[in-house]
Amino acid sequence: MLMVAINFENNLSYALTFLLATLFLVATLHTYANLSGLTIRALRAQPAFAGQQSEFHIMVERSKQRDHYGLHIKWPQSSESLANLTEDDRVNIQLHMAVTNRGWFNPGRLLIESTYPLGLLRTWTWIDLDLHALVYPRPLASAELPGLATDTPDGAAAMVAGNDDFFGFRNYQKGDSLRQVHWKGLAKGQGMQTKQYTAYADRSVWLDWDLFAGLGTEQRLSQLCYWVLEFDSHKEEYGLRLPGLVIEPALGEKHRDRVLKALALFGKEDRPL
Amino acid sequence: MNIQQQVPRNALVWIIICLFALVAPHAARLPVWVLAVYVIAFIWRLQVHRGRWSFPGRWVKVAMTFSASLGIYLSYGTLIGLEPTVALLLTAFALKLIELSQRKDAYVLLFLGYFICVTEFLFSQDILITLLSVVNVTLVTTALVALHQPGEHQFNRGTIKLASTMLLQAVPLMLVVFFVFPRFGPLWTVPIKSHTAKTGMSDHMKPGDVASLSQSGDVAFRVKFEGEIPPKSELYWRGLVFSRLRQDIWSGLGFYEVPLSEQRPSKVSTSGSPLSYSIIMEPTQQNWLYGLHYARSNSPGVMQSSDFRLFSPGPLEAENMYSVNSWLNASADESLSDWRRKAETKLPPLGNLKTRELARELRSGVSSDEEFVDAILARFNIEPYVYTLRPGALAGDNQIDQFLFQSQRGFCEHFASAFVFMMRSAGVPARVVAGYQGGEINPVNNTVIVHQFDAHAWAEVWIEGKGWVRVDPTGAVSPDRIEWGLEEAMQAEGSFLAAAPLSALRFRSVPLLNMLRLRYDALTYRWQSWVVGFDRERQFDLLQRFFGGISAQIFATILLGSWVLVLVPVAISLFRKKDTHPVSRWDKQYLIFCGRMAKLGLVRAPGETPGQFAQRAVAELPVYAKELEQITRQYNAIAYAKVDGSGGSMGEALGRFTRTVTRFKPARRRGVIDETVSS
Repeated sequence: MLMVAINFENNLSYALTFLLATLFLVATLHTYANLSGLTIRALRAQPAFAGQQSEFHIMVERSKQRDHYGLHIKWPQSSESLANLTEDDRVNIQLHMAVTNRGWFNPGRLLIESTYPLGLLRTWTWIDLDLHALVYPRPLASAELPGLATDTPDGAAAMVAGNDDFFGFRNYQKGDSLRQVHWKGLAKGQGMQTKQYTAYADRSVWLDWDLFAGLGTEQRLSQLCYWVLEFDSHKEEYGLRLPGLVIEPALGEKHRDRVLKALALFGKEDRPL
Repeated sequence: MNIQQQVPRNALVWIIICLFALVAPHAARLPVWVLAVYVIAFIWRLQVHRGRWSFPGRWVKVAMTFSASLGIYLSYGTLIGLEPTVALLLTAFALKLIELSQRKDAYVLLFLGYFICVTEFLFSQDILITLLSVVNVTLVTTALVALHQPGEHQFNRGTIKLASTMLLQAVPLMLVVFFVFPRFGPLWTVPIKSHTAKTGMSDHMKPGDVASLSQSGDVAFRVKFEGEIPPKSELYWRGLVFSRLRQDIWSGLGFYEVPLSEQRPSKVSTSGSPLSYSIIMEPTQQNWLYGLHYARSNSPGVMQSSDFRLFSPGPLEAENMYSVNSWLNASADESLSDWRRKAETKLPPLGNLKTRELARELRSGVSSDEEFVDAILARFNIEPYVYTLRPGALAGDNQIDQFLFQSQRGFCEHFASAFVFMMRSAGVPARVVAGYQGGEINPVNNTVIVHQFDAHAWAEVWIEGKGWVRVDPTGAVSPDRIEWGLEEAMQAEGSFLAAAPLSALRFRSVPLLNMLRLRYDALTYRWQSWVVGFDRERQFDLLQRFFGGISAQIFATILLGSWVLVLVPVAISLFRKKDTHPVSRWDKQYLIFCGRMAKLGLVRAPGETPGQFAQRAVAELPVYAKELEQITRQYNAIAYAKVDGSGGSMGEALGRFTRTVTRFKPARRRGVIDETVSS
């Protein structure tokens, strides 16, 4: 364009050429402004098994009533997310990233970039978020649980509050089911008592570190992890014994997460929360 | 496809708007089929968008490109030159729309759009075209912004607002660069406008030519005198000198027809102070420049011929500004060379015998050439000759005889031609001069506007001892033409600008319209002298005036200074902290409270309600339980219930809350801090 202006000695072509050049200059500020005034918050990170993708939740929030367009947010190895902040003041985005090693995983510095408004310039920033994903060991299938092969599950019955067989009475405690109150006894003036029952877990298993003798640490953990998932999916109780850590057998999501976390952090330092 | 690479619908709409806005100013110059391509491209792209049609395949694209080039070639007869190039560019622009699917296509399209804006200026640098181009640049920029709003499918007015804001912020910087950027000459020769019609006087004249030019109300040039404007009857703007008559057509002597020794204009002795003025000519695609006799110019690119014309070495493709000094009384060619005498008395060997006869007869009745001139003028005056814009066509041979003895109706060229013919018949050196006579004085800025209808032809006769003397035979027939102008001269006939019923010039009798017209013309003059006519010289003057010279240092200082002056305020306005929501007065008080708590290490977590926060705070600082509870209760009452527990008005409640907050100045006992730290 400048060549046209010079060769034709055309002043308005000069003017337009310079206008575009200076527009470029002004655009640097506007491009930069597209990232300014943004607050990035780490919301949470979904725990994942090693080798899988972890989902990271991030919130982008603006502090000024200005439209922000085309914000590309990603970690170098993660999926990319594109966000606009126009109507709402904040937007939640999810990024997926493959995690490899068990333990606490920090995805590193987050890249936020945009080329808005003209596409000629790119502005970017790296943000260190306090966001960690818990990575469980990679579940490694093994044909049988070595300990079970002998059919002598370590640890027989554990007493769990259930309602299979009557076991005895104990004093009523707040929270006990009214159905299990020994009403007859109450009528006889024996005070409020609760009938107690026991249920024998079908199989209450101790997943023991020592069951996998001869394997490396990671392999042991991987196999343990596999069996945790197995038992959990079959709704069978299980406990965990690791060197220096014992988790009593139980069932449920919370229990599973606790066990998995123990596996994930075995031999590693926990993150101060 | 990656969403980033898609063209948002909002952008597509803007791009289509751009497309038509950009072609609009070019439309009159383009073959009709190019405009049809635009409509087809639009419909095709629309159908693609609606999912009815698909994008063109590779071979279709190749075929379209080829046929477009062929079409341009057939329409213009060539692919080289400015018009075919621009037409090709505009056709490519339309075709690109059809295959627009990704962001990178849109980039190509939009940068081509900016370039098309520039090409428009090569044809016209008019104020209106400039305003239109400003709109077009804004549209292209808007489309570019819209392109970077992924997922924006609503037609969004905020987009054009941002684009205009950025352009406005760029304008002051642009102006600075415009005025300081060094102007150097063209680096290489560029295609010229071969297909633009030449306007104004042509290089030859036959009877009826000037009359048809006088139908146009266009401006030929504008003149600004440094002093008083001379009377209109003195304003004879010489442009062309016709010394050769062939088959009733007058033309100038070609460059190579003049012997080398005659090519330099002879020295003219000037006395007294000259009349100084500057002229801005509209583009004519011709070489000649205009000036009052005897004119000399120091402007670059203005040359003088041996018959004392001013001319430019190249055709005037754009508005051209030059300044002239004229000595109205100077006598040119006091002695005539033999060659010139021969050239200026030459006549075709045959034809117009009656005219020759009459000339010889008149000459023999007087004693000097000057008296001879008077005799012819007297004849024009006495005989029933009519000065008219509708002289009727003369055909065949002996056209001067036909005019002088039969029709006796003619426009200036008829009279000038007949006069010079008679002079030469008697052996007196004479020639036809074509140019403009008179002009309209614009009282707004004291310029003289010379229109095409001021076109005129007159004669110059060489008189011993006086040199070339101007003689205007038209003045003998219609003195009004010379004194007042064509409009007055044609009042009875009513033929003034008969072909242009809507020309603003026809409404000169309406004061308001006339005032507006003259103001616009004054603006145009200003525009042309400052923007269009800004060149190396003016730049030098300007920089000299403001900064006392030009040096790289000053150049850099001006540039950087302007950047700081403009960009800093822009940056401040962009990065100034401004909260999304205006904070209410009670929120402000509560935030003060939170600030004090934060100093003690108790930071309210995002999303934590005042109640939860208070609970946490009380657990931490039981000493302040009462105050914390009070502040929280009062705040909740105002902010959420909007009702004051004690039944007072909102203002009172707020006042109470403010006082409570002000009084609350918590401090931690040392022990507590230590405890927190160790925990």
